[in-house]
Amino acid sequence: MEVDGVYASVDPTVVRSIPIQSRRQRALHQFTQQTLPACKPVLTPASVITTFFLLGLIFVPVGFITLRASRSVVEIVERYDADCLPEEFRGNKMSYIADSSIPKNCSRTLKVPKNMKAPIYVYYQLDNYYQNHRRYVKSRSDTQLLRGLQTNDTSLCRPEEFANGHPIVPCGLVAWSLFNDTFTFSRGASELRVDRKNIAWRSDRDHKFGKDVYPYNFQNGSIIGGGKLDPTVPLSDQEDFIVWMRTAALPSFRKLYGRIEVDLDMDEEITVDLMNNYNTYSFGGKKKIVLSTTSWIGGRNDFIGFAFMFVGSSSILLSLVFMLLHVKNPRTYGDAAYLAWNKKGISG
Amino acid sequence: MKRYVYINDDESPTQDLYCDNRISNRKYTVWNFLPKNLWEQFSRFMNQYFLLIACLQLWSLITPVNPASTWGPLIFIFAVSASKEAWDDYNRFLSDKKANEKEVWIVKHGLKKPSRAQDVRVGDIVWLRENDEVPCDLVVLGTSDPQGLCYIETSALDGETDLKTRGIPSACTGIDSELLHKIKGVIECPNPDKDIRRFDANLRLFPPFIDNDVCPLTIKNTVLQSCYLRNTEWACGVAVYTGNETKLGMSRGIPEPKLTAMDAMIDKLTGAIFVFQIVVVVVLGIAGNVWKDTEARKQWYVQYPKEGPWYELLVIPLRFELLCSIMIPISIKVSLDLVKSLYAKFIDWDIEMFDQETGSSSHATNTAISEDLGQVEYIMTDKTGTLTENKMVFRRCCISGTFYGNESGDALKDVRLQNAVASGSPDVIRFLTVMAICNTVIPVQSKNGNVLYKAQSQDEEALVQAAAKLHMVLFSKSGNLLEIRFNASAIKYEVLDILEFTSDRKRMSVVVRDTRDDKIFLLSKGADEAILPCASAGQQTRTLNEAADQYAQLGLRTLCLAWRELKEDEYQEWSLMFREASSTLVDREWRIAEVCQRLEHDLEVLGVTAIEDRLQDGVPETIEMLRRAGINFWMLTGDKQNTAIQIALSCNFISPEPKGQLLLIDGKTEDEVCRSLERVLLTMRITSSEPKDVAFVVDGWALEIALKNHRKDFTELAILSRTAICCRVTPSQKAQLVELLKSCDYRTLAIGDGGNDVRMIQQADIGVGISGREGLQAARAADYSIGKFRFLKRLILVHGRYSYNRTAFLSQYSFYKSLLICFIQIFFSFISGVSGTSLFNSVSLMAYNVFYTSIPVLVSVLDKDLSEKTVMQHPQILFYCQAGRLLNPSTFAGWFGRSLFHAIVVFIISINAFAYEKSEMEEVAMVALSGCIWLQAFVVIIETNSFTVLQHLAIWGNLIGFYIINWIVSTIPSSGMYTIMFRLCSQPSYWITIFLIVGAGMGPILAIKYFRYTYTPSKINTLQQAERLGGPILSLGNIDPQQRSMEKEVAALSITQPKGRNSVYEPLLSESPSGTRRSFGSAAPFEFFQSQASRLSSSYSRNCKDN
Repeated sequence: MEVDGVYASVDPTVVRSIPIQSRRQRALHQFTQQTLPACKPVLTPASVITTFFLLGLIFVPVGFITLRASRSVVEIVERYDADCLPEEFRGNKMSYIADSSIPKNCSRTLKVPKNMKAPIYVYYQLDNYYQNHRRYVKSRSDTQLLRGLQTNDTSLCRPEEFANGHPIVPCGLVAWSLFNDTFTFSRGASELRVDRKNIAWRSDRDHKFGKDVYPYNFQNGSIIGGGKLDPTVPLSDQEDFIVWMRTAALPSFRKLYGRIEVDLDMDEEITVDLMNNYNTYSFGGKKKIVLSTTSWIGGRNDFIGFAFMFVGSSSILLSLVFMLLHVKNPRTYGDAAYLAWNKKGISG
Repeated sequence: MKRYVYINDDESPTQDLYCDNRISNRKYTVWNFLPKNLWEQFSRFMNQYFLLIACLQLWSLITPVNPASTWGPLIFIFAVSASKEAWDDYNRFLSDKKANEKEVWIVKHGLKKPSRAQDVRVGDIVWLRENDEVPCDLVVLGTSDPQGLCYIETSALDGETDLKTRGIPSACTGIDSELLHKIKGVIECPNPDKDIRRFDANLRLFPPFIDNDVCPLTIKNTVLQSCYLRNTEWACGVAVYTGNETKLGMSRGIPEPKLTAMDAMIDKLTGAIFVFQIVVVVVLGIAGNVWKDTEARKQWYVQYPKEGPWYELLVIPLRFELLCSIMIPISIKVSLDLVKSLYAKFIDWDIEMFDQETGSSSHATNTAISEDLGQVEYIMTDKTGTLTENKMVFRRCCISGTFYGNESGDALKDVRLQNAVASGSPDVIRFLTVMAICNTVIPVQSKNGNVLYKAQSQDEEALVQAAAKLHMVLFSKSGNLLEIRFNASAIKYEVLDILEFTSDRKRMSVVVRDTRDDKIFLLSKGADEAILPCASAGQQTRTLNEAADQYAQLGLRTLCLAWRELKEDEYQEWSLMFREASSTLVDREWRIAEVCQRLEHDLEVLGVTAIEDRLQDGVPETIEMLRRAGINFWMLTGDKQNTAIQIALSCNFISPEPKGQLLLIDGKTEDEVCRSLERVLLTMRITSSEPKDVAFVVDGWALEIALKNHRKDFTELAILSRTAICCRVTPSQKAQLVELLKSCDYRTLAIGDGGNDVRMIQQADIGVGISGREGLQAARAADYSIGKFRFLKRLILVHGRYSYNRTAFLSQYSFYKSLLICFIQIFFSFISGVSGTSLFNSVSLMAYNVFYTSIPVLVSVLDKDLSEKTVMQHPQILFYCQAGRLLNPSTFAGWFGRSLFHAIVVFIISINAFAYEKSEMEEVAMVALSGCIWLQAFVVIIETNSFTVLQHLAIWGNLIGFYIINWIVSTIPSSGMYTIMFRLCSQPSYWITIFLIVGAGMGPILAIKYFRYTYTPSKINTLQQAERLGGPILSLGNIDPQQRSMEKEVAALSITQPKGRNSVYEPLLSESPSGTRRSFGSAAPFEFFQSQASRLSSSYSRNCKDN
């Protein structure tokens, strides 16, 4: 779009009749007379074709760069919920997961496809898990998480508000369904240390979860949901819990489990020993373990790059189409012939 | 149901039965304001809807967001409306107070005392002096006039400016004014009603007054509230109805608010959106319940109970209802009210519509209908005072066959006339005498010895002034005695009777006695067709007829002057009859007219006067320009046909032969009128396809028949005809014509200046009053008042057009932004288990409508698609507004599609760019919200035609404001979005995502817009291109031929051109001898209430055009 200069629409007679006053008064006068100087852009072929071309010229490289950044991220995704199910329970997943006497430990081996530079983030991923369900997402009490038992009104937490007549801290479905699979990594024979500190947002630890709020009466109800919390550790230090409480907007999401602070080499094999405690069998959810490096745009996400390249190339295409159209079929702008009431007068 | 009024009875117990004379136009009192106002606001569907939503939100089980997000805006909107109402009501209270505390004279205990108007009680005797406003409905008991007559001006009641006579009941005749203080009696009258034509009551006076029988009272014995006493020294009457129980008070209602075509369209679109919303809610509700039963029950972490409460099935649909409630923008009414009042202010402020002469600026009384100005299709205009200046100047005369003033154009400067006056030619002297005496003008001596004239009629004043310039000075009038001075000599006349002017008689006469020789004369003046038939048999009236014609052709107003000497006994005999007729109870007006006719015969016609009423500045140009803009003009005038046609010709209203053609509808009988109408209709059907100016002319009599018996034909004619001249029409007929066009679904604008235009102005979609010389009545009743007719073009082409364009954008944009965010919510529900989760938090939702999106769009009131100059050069462009091209279901569908597209873009990009480890709810929500804000800012930019500083400020300031507000909210730990915005803004991926959203969202919009702008440009686009690139249209050399070529195509803009022509040729109007067509007394001057009834019925007949 081209800006064709400032259109000074101030009528000279008007200006003359009003003696030059202060700037403010003149501006007010122009406002009341609707004669404020205005610039009126026109969609000329040149400006529009240039705009689209420039848009494409910016978008395609940006897309390329983001795609490169995304591709530079090394990611290992391993689904384990199906494979960790012992053969004999394949037909009856529920009895496996519901029976606490069956050992849940399981071991997976991951192969590193490329060199991975530290820090390597360890996520667990849940698919088809609706943390954004209306009934679920509302069922929490932020004030209780901060103030603990002093909070009187925890009605939002229903149906996990009270257990055995006592209030639950932390209450609500989100807390109650805390993810409780655990992972330990080993590199050959040696253990691969995973840093589990500072995985939650600092602001959450400092201001959203109480330093003197301890879990109370948690997972004592008739149905046990997810993981338990150590009642001697204040909520602000239970980082897994804090991460879980940041509900996800999408039914597939990853949550940070920890960080591996050493580089991993290509073709290295890593063993994950995990406790497959969390029930996703009843609703067909998937559980995955993800190891990922990071780049300036975050984790691996090709979407942005492709979208940029798509938008960019389409706008270059558009600019070419418009250019062709313009060359083939040039239009005089503001031609009086386009005014119908003139057309007849000209043609006949 | 009777009311008994005991006259002058201070102890009467009945006095307390009736209310006092306190007028109250207030809608509210301090106590009932809140409940009543709330009740009123909730009677509107939109408000009920929002209240329901707000109440549902209190149920925390279903509410997706904090109830404050609806209650806040709702309360704000209600507070704004309520305070506006309160302010209006307070102003009404003040004006009531002023009226209530006006001083009136009441008789108390036999003594006249001044007191406040509000203290008048039923039964009190009220004294009125000349020019007093009547404080309540009175029965006249006595007047200064020996015959017991008084004159009142009823324009406030019925809009008619001529004076009406009222008389005392027969039982009161001859009671001395002193005795009137002590009069006692009882009036038996009906309970208050609003019929100003009927008052059926009886009066009985108590002794010592004549006490023989009950005396019947009619409306002729009453003076009603808000009339003015004129030309009568004093009058007194007994109050029968007071306060709000008067006839006026009973009929008073808050005038129905006018609804613009645009408002109606917006309502319609709102309805459509509402239906769409219901459909969405039902579909999603069902889907939600199905999903819940199939999927959610398996999801242990959601803990759906096995058995829900009875309302369980309703919970999900209701949640979606709340989620989708933002589809209908709650802010649209407030925004529209706000911008509408700004449009009105722009009209008030416009110095180009400032009338230098009277120092008055234009004023928009009704702030709500500016858009309608841009959609006007018919303009009904008054002639006198609207097209003309209403400054009557005596220009020419024809005295006994001699034409004066033909050469110079001013008879007063004609040497021959001056010589004739100097030499004392008897014909000329008599002519001047009639000019000076035969009128109701009141001379007032000013302090410096000059004589000033006060006249009801501008014509009379012009005649008296002219006579004075020719040395025949009307010097004084006291009681029945009037004195004129001719040169140095004073001549005294005694006025014996005044035979008033009525619109039926079209003439007035006075009977005077020359005090010098006791001779009695009848002096008459009136329209030629009213005077010439009364001329004495032997007189040659041909010259006079020719003179009248010639003058009328020049557009002058003609009056014939005549006189006759009366024999003493003839007068005495007639006088008795006249007195009898004046005191009849039934059909008095008719009887008087009949008696008058007995005297007005064998007149010696002295000559013809011609009075000029000059056209206002710029009238022809204005009419031409507005006609080029596709507006049809109808002239409705009370003036005679020839004058009307001449004025019409001189102001481009109609074109002369051969370009124009006039078709005349006339006829004395119903059959003639009918045949004439059919003929005209036939011609019109044939010629309407030609680019020829065809106009029809109809007079009041034919119009009445046509409207009564041939309404269908006449309606068709009205639709076919772009121009019409209706002459000799009454105020109520003017209103009927307006209503007729309105019933065909045309947008009508009525413009007038006088009291007789008030009804038409009130009836029309838009009433424009010219604050002219006939007082301010029209201007006060009107929606817009302007100083000069020529301002109309600016009012319509500039203000109306801009208002329409701006509102069209603003309203559709409001829906666009609401739909945008609502669609995102709906899409989100598909990935949240159709459970009705809100993606956005309460703060964002509330602020989205109130802050983020409303400010940039509000400055669109400064947007101008074309400069004023271009619009004035190409008034045809108004067609886009008239036809509603900028706001209709199809443009709306475009905006709907745009919001759907943008919602998809924002949603897809946000959830994909922020997937997996970044899929934190608050973050995704803020990304989507920022995407919406950016997109809507760019939509405003792409739809804005001219950027002023304020627009830049609002658009960019708003974006910055968005971030500042969110940063502030992000610093509050207890808010849901603590630190979110800081977190996002520090991520490059956030900015890249926003960039992507803007690029992907705006690219296609820009491409489509450019394509249409270039390859299928609307005329607005073409003019924009021409204007801004300095194309051939704007180069000065080309403007003139351009415009000339357009002139030829004036009619072709909206009319298709089928071929085939058969000429049924009607000659340009020749003189039509009209004579007195109406039998006396058939006129019904009080049709005040018809208009109200018809206004109600007009809504039923609205759909006869389009379907």
